[in-house]
Amino acid sequence: MKVEGEHLFSGTQQQVWDLFRDTEVMAAALPGTKKMELIGENTYEAVMNVRVGPVVGEFSGQLVISNEDHPTSYTMTVDGRGKPGFLKGVGDVILTNQGENQTLMGYTGEVQIGGKLVAVGQRLIDTVAKSIISQAFEILDNALAERESAEAEGREAAYRKSSESDYAATVAKDLIKNVLKRTGSSEDS
Amino acid sequence: MTYKVIGKRVKRVEDPRLLTGGALFVGDVNLPNMLHAAFFRSDYAHAKIKSIDTSLAKEIPGVVGVYTAEDMGEAWEPGPPLVSPPPTLEGVVFNSRRQVPLVKDKVKHAGEIIAVVVAESRYIAEDAVEEIYVDYEPLPAVTDLEKCLEPGHPLVHDDLDSNLAAYLVQNKGDYEAAKKEADLVLKRKFKLDRGAAVAMENRGIVVDWDQKNQHLMIWDTTQSPIPIRNGMAARLGLRTHQVRVVAPFVGGGFGPKIMMFYAEEMVLPWLTMKLNRPVKWIEDRKENFYATTQEREQVQEVEMALSKEGRILGIKQKIIHDTGAFDPYGLTTPLNTQSHSMGGYDVQNYNSELFVVFTNKIIVTPVRGAGRPQGIYVVERMLDIASKELKLDPRDVRRLNFIPKDAFPYNHEIIDQAFVELVLDSGNYLPAYEKALEKIEYDKFVQEEQPRLRAEGKYVGIGVVPFIETTGVGPYEGARVAVEPSGKISAATGVGTQGQSHMTSFAQIIAEELGVEVEDVSLVSGDTAEIHWGTGTFASRGAVVAGNAVLAAASDVRKKVLKLASKILETPEDELELEGGLVRVADIPEKSISLGELAVLANPFRGAVEPGTEPGLESTKYFGPAYGATAFGVHGMILEVDPETMMIKIHKYIAVEDCGTMLNPLVVEGQIHGGVSMGIGNAYYEKLHYDENAQLLNASLADYLIPTSAEMPHIEVYHENTPAPNNKLGTKGVGEAGAIPVPAAFAQALENALPDFNLEITETPLSPNRLYELLYKSEE
Repeated sequence: MKVEGEHLFSGTQQQVWDLFRDTEVMAAALPGTKKMELIGENTYEAVMNVRVGPVVGEFSGQLVISNEDHPTSYTMTVDGRGKPGFLKGVGDVILTNQGENQTLMGYTGEVQIGGKLVAVGQRLIDTVAKSIISQAFEILDNALAERESAEAEGREAAYRKSSESDYAATVAKDLIKNVLKRTGSSEDS
Repeated sequence: MTYKVIGKRVKRVEDPRLLTGGALFVGDVNLPNMLHAAFFRSDYAHAKIKSIDTSLAKEIPGVVGVYTAEDMGEAWEPGPPLVSPPPTLEGVVFNSRRQVPLVKDKVKHAGEIIAVVVAESRYIAEDAVEEIYVDYEPLPAVTDLEKCLEPGHPLVHDDLDSNLAAYLVQNKGDYEAAKKEADLVLKRKFKLDRGAAVAMENRGIVVDWDQKNQHLMIWDTTQSPIPIRNGMAARLGLRTHQVRVVAPFVGGGFGPKIMMFYAEEMVLPWLTMKLNRPVKWIEDRKENFYATTQEREQVQEVEMALSKEGRILGIKQKIIHDTGAFDPYGLTTPLNTQSHSMGGYDVQNYNSELFVVFTNKIIVTPVRGAGRPQGIYVVERMLDIASKELKLDPRDVRRLNFIPKDAFPYNHEIIDQAFVELVLDSGNYLPAYEKALEKIEYDKFVQEEQPRLRAEGKYVGIGVVPFIETTGVGPYEGARVAVEPSGKISAATGVGTQGQSHMTSFAQIIAEELGVEVEDVSLVSGDTAEIHWGTGTFASRGAVVAGNAVLAAASDVRKKVLKLASKILETPEDELELEGGLVRVADIPEKSISLGELAVLANPFRGAVEPGTEPGLESTKYFGPAYGATAFGVHGMILEVDPETMMIKIHKYIAVEDCGTMLNPLVVEGQIHGGVSMGIGNAYYEKLHYDENAQLLNASLADYLIPTSAEMPHIEVYHENTPAPNNKLGTKGVGEAGAIPVPAAFAQALENALPDFNLEITETPLSPNRLYELLYKSEE
């Protein structure tokens, strides 16, 4: 499965870079993350609860950052498995300055998925992946703003964690949107 | 020959039990003290096993044991080769690689079993499976039929030089010489993809080792109980009489249930003997997609040489056939493809090169049609395309090429699935074809209906496709028929039933011979305690091979009845008749004796009998044909395509069937209906999607679409009768027929319905999405 997209952050390239390299922030942004730890240079260990339609279960795996070109790009490799199956992916993240306090984050990647996750959840994976990503960006936007104001106010930043129920609600909303789009009765038409 | 009972539309005697829940299925077998098995299956299609950790699973209360290949020790061995390659062909390459009970070192397809949990309930067993951890080293998967033979490609079997499972060439005449004479040489590439059989009842097995009796009882959803019994005894070091296999009612076989041994069939008997307790496993639907065999994937390059009149001068073919990770079933399926690639046409020059390849996909064995639909698909598609190129009426091209009636028996001069020369025993193809055109009102449709509907903006098309089906192959089947002291008849045959109506149509044969009512015959099929010899239900051969064995046994009982009755009634045998359960003197109906009384007299309790006398009115007989009986049929359909959604609606569907003598037309028609529904699935709904990692993307009935009653048209079935000359009944098989021509008819009808697009269909299955892509592509 190919994954690609982009998101515009309100922050400098350096701020966005730092945000992405903050384990605490990333763990907060990804729904279902139970654990994310730096276990070696640029290597993280993560445990995440994944829910795709009827397929639910815990995934554990490693995330490795490589090809770092500070503060412009890096490559991310994930390799995880759990009871619902396995996933393996490689992706590139590129940050570009889009003018004052605006940074565009672009990502492209290729993910291999197997097991029950793909056999039973295949139809939903796309939507679920998009939902996870869009929700993550929302939290990251807030986190970025929080970091700025915390810095300005000279206090510790407090991040809102994504909750699994928020995530479930987002997925449901996105699925309904997709269905409406398919039947041609979405609000845009 | 005029029959009183054979050929009559007798309602199925098994139905009341089936419809009221009174029939035994393997799932109904529950024994005291019984354990339940659940399997840990690999998610990866191709991976080395680095380690297996079953410690957590073993700790769960209620778990009796968790076992891996290592635990099986000496008992671990691959399944037997079911069918070896044809010994009659020169230059055959065949690498036999068979499935294993539990994977030892390398997983070769997703769904292969790595460990088994045995527990007090299935719930506990499944929970424990979740706690097993296997550490894998994933390997690149072999999926692409065309690329997998390239040097340096990853290998499914590391001990082989390539992924080649088998290679052979079949040749008739001289294609290259014929090609020089041709006005048109047509070359096309075809892609035929995979589907599942989707029997309503999944597989299941219950095993019970009786330590004190030293006897193993097996209930199995198999199409082949006697070979399962024989093979199981050999594997376990038992004598055949120590093993009894019962295949009770089975909810659909369609071919995959003749595979043996499935891994589960190898593991469970070992477990019951090890644990001394009965063990049960019933396959769930998800397992079925990964663990039950599939079929139809081939890539073919076909060349056809024709004269400008449309006469086929020769066919050249290269088949790449996917056998999946193993090839236990030998070459049956691709040999069938070759046997049907000339259809019912008089083709003098044929050259077919077959490559069978291993991939990291589920094992391939025959599924209803068994390679035949692929052969019919390519030959019929080529004729459709040739007709367009030569600007000929596709009907005339077929009429010109049919094997004429007086050319039978017609030797196609290649080897068929039974490794004997493919001789078409009999046939009369043209009248059946004309009848189909008449019944679907071809002329009226193209001249009146189609123009009118097109003017209304409707995309309607017609497809009419003839086909042959080789059926009724050997080696043999047997039957035992006996008159009970009650006057009722007991019978048994080794071919198990998965819905073929054996209990009715075989009873009709016996009723005909012995002058009893169909209801008075009780037939057991699929119990090794009832008959010792036989092979199984496959290859559309029940009515031919088992049917004629039933006839032979019933005729022999009839002889015994007449001999004894003649003595008692003091009347010559030729003056006696069997009617209403009695033997009576033809001219003096009141002078009679019942079959029951004769049965008692034939089995005296005291006194002396004449030397050489066999007790009872019983006989066991066998039948084996020298070569098969070839059936013929023509299917026609009129369909409409919705240009917005690409969904189709079948307005009319007709089938003309020639399966020789019909034992029971209701049963024949039922087989056609079922076959057509499978064919419609193969043509437009059912496709197993594998990704480049050999992961199955639609392994559930939510995503793998099978036609439901809503998609099924009303099917009109018409009959022709060209009796098979090589068996007494004159029967030919019909079990797979319905499924064979449908994808080819679909393709023809779709092209006919969409004349505005430059549409040429060379693949199956299609789907609304795929049709849209093809139209969009051809519009460009």
